[in-house]
Amino acid sequence: MEDVHKSFGGVRAVSGVSLSLPRGRIYGLIGPNGSGKTTLFNCITGVERCDRGRILLDGAPIQHLKPYEIARRGVGRTFQMIRVFPELTALENLLVVTTGPRAAAEARARELLAFVKLEGLAGEYAGNLSYGQQKLVEFVRMLMRDPSLVLLDEPAAGVNRTLLNELLDAVRRLRDAGKTVLLVEHDMKVVMGLCEVVFVLDHGEKIAEGPPGTIQGDERVIEAYFGR
Amino acid sequence: MRSLALAVPALALVALALYPTIATGYGLRAVLQVFTWIALAGSWNLISGLTGYVSFGHVAFFGAGAYTGGILMASAGWSWPVAALLGGVAAGVLALGMGWTCLRLKGPYFAIAMLGLNEVLRALVSYFEGLTGGGNGLSMPTLDATVPIYYAMGVTALAVTLGARLIIGSRFGLRLMTIREDEVAAEAMGIPTFRHKLLAFLLSAIGPGIAGALTARDQGYIEPLSVFPLATTITMIVMALFGGKGTVWGPVIGAIVLFVAQEMVWARYPYIHPLLFGAIIVAVVLAMPRGILGLLQMKYRLPRTI
Repeated sequence: MEDVHKSFGGVRAVSGVSLSLPRGRIYGLIGPNGSGKTTLFNCITGVERCDRGRILLDGAPIQHLKPYEIARRGVGRTFQMIRVFPELTALENLLVVTTGPRAAAEARARELLAFVKLEGLAGEYAGNLSYGQQKLVEFVRMLMRDPSLVLLDEPAAGVNRTLLNELLDAVRRLRDAGKTVLLVEHDMKVVMGLCEVVFVLDHGEKIAEGPPGTIQGDERVIEAYFGR
Repeated sequence: MRSLALAVPALALVALALYPTIATGYGLRAVLQVFTWIALAGSWNLISGLTGYVSFGHVAFFGAGAYTGGILMASAGWSWPVAALLGGVAAGVLALGMGWTCLRLKGPYFAIAMLGLNEVLRALVSYFEGLTGGGNGLSMPTLDATVPIYYAMGVTALAVTLGARLIIGSRFGLRLMTIREDEVAAEAMGIPTFRHKLLAFLLSAIGPGIAGALTARDQGYIEPLSVFPLATTITMIVMALFGGKGTVWGPVIGAIVLFVAQEMVWARYPYIHPLLFGAIIVAVVLAMPRGILGLLQMKYRLPRTI
């Protein structure tokens, strides 16, 4: 992504951010509240159209595409506030993403539900599931399209330790399968333990980039988080 | 259970097919009206019950079909079955044009735009007197076709219901529901929501278009006020909500129950029947916002395609 800008009225949510995400690694995106992390996610996925700059996926510009077109090119995401389809069952939540023969689609959906140990709840309305279970449904729904770039918006928020560890394991397995992962996260333990490269945003600008160890000691990062 | 679920509609179908041989004039007209309401409420359900885009001007498609069919029959002398099909086509074309612009609007704005469409059509029909007869209305050549119209309307209602069954049982139907549930998430999952809405809207307009043309033939006379009434839109919405929006049989049950209730209330309390009917509607919506089938579906885990 090159020199991306996005303003809302007079608020410059993202100004001149460039990120490069070579394949097959886990990247972290951190920064104080309002620093532009979610806006950046929305620009990548086409929910917001950036005012200026380019976003390239495998070398092809995608910043002008509609959200569904970007999703079809292999960008999957989860949301900060869970967005499952509450009046569809867990299985249906995954099925809607598919085309092609239904039996094969259903088999794949059940396989993914089993992957997060939810096969027993396939027929339950997603809205009746617990917060953590909904989060898992959202996670595997995103995997139905087999995305090459996975965007996770605060995967650890509101998730208990056991579930979190399962989720983090799943993320590592995605990376091992050659997928690129970019996650926004406030829990520093998660970021430091999981990410190979961390980008730090403040007031819509990128103020630091590097491995977690280096970032932790960076003057500007400490300043952005704790003040002078 | 499964054979029962097949046997009941099959028996009802046979009974309805044989009914004209023994029916009184009133009985035949009453069932014909129920067919019309099933076609209307079932069609409204396809766009509004499934995608959540509430169409507050769905009678516009009924009126467009009535005038298209009416003009073809009265001025061009076409036979009514062909005119009825073209009424459906005209309503579909109108839906594509209207949907292309208005389905980009969200929630209440779409509802209001549809309300506006109906008023615009009524005004246009009144204005182009040469073609439509304007406020004087349009008369078709006299012809008693109640029995054939009864069958044609019955087939229309059946087609709408079977269409709903096919759609709701398919992934296309589920995708329409994701638009109702969370349109942003649906897009992010790779679902082209606009295309889905447009197709659902097109499908939801054809039934009312055909029903409008058949009604024009049946009544032999149409005028702007009689084919574009807001009350018709409201009635079809209430029927679909009462029976269960987003279900296959909900609009059918809603149309039958509310039509019968309306007739009974009207016969007994001719002066205050709108008031009583209104009170019933409010009570039902407050007590069962999902409607009869929606409630049963959630409570007893019934399949999606009831």
